[in-house]
Amino acid sequence: MSAALRPSRLRLLEPVMLLWLALIAALLVLVAGPLLKMVLVSFEMQETGEFTFQNYLTAYGRQRYLDALRNSLLLGALAAAMSVVIAVPMAWAVSRTDMPGKGFTWAMVLAAFVMPPYLGAIGWILLAGPNSGWINVTWRALTGATEPLVNVYTFTGMAFVIALHSFPLVFIFVKSALDLISSEMEDAANILGGGTWTTMRRVTLPLVWPSILGGFILIFLETIALFGTPAIIGIPARINVVTTQLWQFFEDPVRVEVAAAYAIPLLLITVGLIAVQKLMLARKGFVSQTGKGGERREVKLGPWRWVLFGWCLTVGLLAVVKPLLVLLQASFAKAWGRGFSLDNLTLRNYRFILFEHDMAPQSVWNTVWFSAASATIAVILALLVAYIVIRRLMRFADALGFLAMAPFVIPGIVMAIGFYAAYAGPPLSLYGSGLLIILAFAARFLPIAYASSQAAMRAVHPEMEEAARILGSGRLHAIRKVTAPLLKTSLLGGWLVVFIVASRELSAAIFLVGPRTRTMSVLLYDLTEQGNFEVVAAFGGVLLVITMVIVGIGMKLVGRDFMLRRE
Amino acid sequence: MFLIDRRQMLALAAWSAAATKAWAQSPLTTAEHALYDAARREGEITWYSGQYSADASEAAGRAFTARYPGVRCNVVRSTSQVAFQRLSQDQRAGVAQCDVFSSTNGGHYIQLKRQNRLMQFRPASADGLLPMLRQADPDNYFQSSFLGIYLMAHNTRLVSEADAPQSWTDILDPKWRDKLAVGHPGFSGAIGLWALQMRTMFGPDYLRRFERNKPQVGRSSIDPVTMMNAGERGVGVAVPSASTLFAMSRGNPLKLIYPTEGVIAALSPSAIIRNAPHPNAAKLFMEFTCGPALSIAVRELFNESIRPDVQPPEGSRPLDQVRMLAPSLEEAERGVPEVREQWREIFGV
Repeated sequence: MSAALRPSRLRLLEPVMLLWLALIAALLVLVAGPLLKMVLVSFEMQETGEFTFQNYLTAYGRQRYLDALRNSLLLGALAAAMSVVIAVPMAWAVSRTDMPGKGFTWAMVLAAFVMPPYLGAIGWILLAGPNSGWINVTWRALTGATEPLVNVYTFTGMAFVIALHSFPLVFIFVKSALDLISSEMEDAANILGGGTWTTMRRVTLPLVWPSILGGFILIFLETIALFGTPAIIGIPARINVVTTQLWQFFEDPVRVEVAAAYAIPLLLITVGLIAVQKLMLARKGFVSQTGKGGERREVKLGPWRWVLFGWCLTVGLLAVVKPLLVLLQASFAKAWGRGFSLDNLTLRNYRFILFEHDMAPQSVWNTVWFSAASATIAVILALLVAYIVIRRLMRFADALGFLAMAPFVIPGIVMAIGFYAAYAGPPLSLYGSGLLIILAFAARFLPIAYASSQAAMRAVHPEMEEAARILGSGRLHAIRKVTAPLLKTSLLGGWLVVFIVASRELSAAIFLVGPRTRTMSVLLYDLTEQGNFEVVAAFGGVLLVITMVIVGIGMKLVGRDFMLRRE
Repeated sequence: MFLIDRRQMLALAAWSAAATKAWAQSPLTTAEHALYDAARREGEITWYSGQYSADASEAAGRAFTARYPGVRCNVVRSTSQVAFQRLSQDQRAGVAQCDVFSSTNGGHYIQLKRQNRLMQFRPASADGLLPMLRQADPDNYFQSSFLGIYLMAHNTRLVSEADAPQSWTDILDPKWRDKLAVGHPGFSGAIGLWALQMRTMFGPDYLRRFERNKPQVGRSSIDPVTMMNAGERGVGVAVPSASTLFAMSRGNPLKLIYPTEGVIAALSPSAIIRNAPHPNAAKLFMEFTCGPALSIAVRELFNESIRPDVQPPEGSRPLDQVRMLAPSLEEAERGVPEVREQWREIFGV
């Protein structure tokens, strides 16, 4: 087949070749450049640029800095483990059982995914502050206890809040894997005497082990790269983590070199994790899809289905309903500590943020336009790369695919430091321009776009394009007129997901924004700095409304489950 | 207890609105006239500030834009250390974005001046400042633009007036364990000054003993005000009088404590950055800052007026009746980074 293609490619592809080269250049600029620059910088002396190991000694020469690293690793592991515990029963219940309220569970998972983690963190400060949190106030009133029931300012408290906004990833992974398992495997176990629970434990769950592990690793990586929650909860809880420590290296004098050196081990850990994952999965088979197309039946749970529903309900309450309620209350309150009463109601917070704040409208606009631009760039790049990889148009196509997926495993804050080191200063001097942030977002979320483009591309047989090309159409023309329209829905879905995650991104933006390019998430962070939670909540409300509109459009255009589909 | 009732509040609002309007419409001074046309050609000025709270900074920015139509003020408000960090990041990247820099940590200006990163300029309006603020730098690289009073406050529902701590050393008593809240010297410039002043007055052990009472650490010096409003902590340490008075005006049960040793007074400058992209607008902004218009705008949000011809805010003790403590700018330059590092060793964050 490739032999048959080759002559025609040489004849027809001359102008297109330039585009492919441009594509490679774009990937180098977006992914390879910043990473390479960061590695180089980590061995450079500040000012002189001489080769040195001193940055590594500085970065790891202190107990406090090492503690931060250890805290991050523990936090990542704990948050990921909690997410698995939260999400796996939910995924199993929704995918395999006759549990009621599946629509509700979907909605809660979607909402938990859409809500920015730092907003959830603020919600949980209002809920679980040891003295003033609503939960503790209620607990004391009911029981007369003096000790708080829950305390958000602890290591587990912080991990829990993070898990409440990360578990949807595990849910998506595990549910889509479970959807593929046919009931016959479970039937076999049943026939051999295993009850529902034994079957689930011994057969069903082990079959989706790769998805659980994948979700675990992803959440681990997202957690160690998280900046907002550790700054908002971690500082009062006296927990220093890698990201807050990296922030300190940016204090005057800005020590990009030390920050880079401090961040490199994170990359190594990531690479190590991926290797471990490969190793753990290598020796076993997890094939659940065969040519025989088995039937999938819901497991009848009897009264247990209400227990499972109770679990989903609790998660929904904790992750979405309660934090949203207290944030809503705070956003309309003169002083949130005074609780729900009529004379505490005010629109002042919204008025301030919408009409009196110089930067807020600008930041709303920045968020929308940066997210839209980066989503567009990511989707176009991803589509072209996926096209090359799937159609095997180039010798090193797989390397391109690897580059497009690489940011998936690079913590966002590491990426931001790479972008700062590579493009903030001369010769490009992009610092303070929107372009820098757009590029960083596009690079950071390229894997999401790539995964959805790749899956969609696999589903389109080349013969339709070939028909067009036989009729005289060029490669690009065929892509534009035939392939892209066929992929329209998936591309739009990918675009929307990138848009949404970009609009709430904080850790990649925090080092890259200038005075005119602050996004809503950065402005929210600036506002939390002075603890004015009423205004923060109002601004968070505005951000949520914008996201909701986008999600609504997405559901209308692409289908209800566009955010949670995993092709 | 200090509370303004609704009528007084309305009267105050009407008065200040009228006064603001009057000042916004009052004729420009010669100095302002000289700069205005050039500033209008530049069109905008970017102000990195950690001095006034977000609300007050925005109010100041709006007052500026109202007084000089055609020149927009971009307010970039954060804590002072973060503002300085952004300035350093600009410098490191070789990109000039900031016109005027305002920090509560006066030490920043000594460093910036030594590194030759400031522009020499004395606004004519500086002659009308409070006498103690008139001459911040003999070479006129920076001018005073802020007088912040940092003291203690308590939530009257959690801590009665009789029990409330009276001095900076009272809060070292173990009975205040888990009841205190404070900002962070890595973020807030004022908390850096406070920690330095405490170390100077009470010795290097002060912070360590303070830590034993497990104060809740926020970022900004304003953070503890929120914690007191919520009832999370009973006593706020080194909180700004302005934000506390503002919170009280919104019905929160707080009360100011003037410690017996004195309050921390941040007499903080502003300066034009040497490579400012809008130098004329920046000079105009300095005229505005030292002139009456700024004091009038921020006074409404309970910040101290920096001029004798503008009334001090409602509810704060007249300045001639309080004892002011503060490290010198030179001490701050050297001491704040030291004390910040010490803080991180002690508190772990």
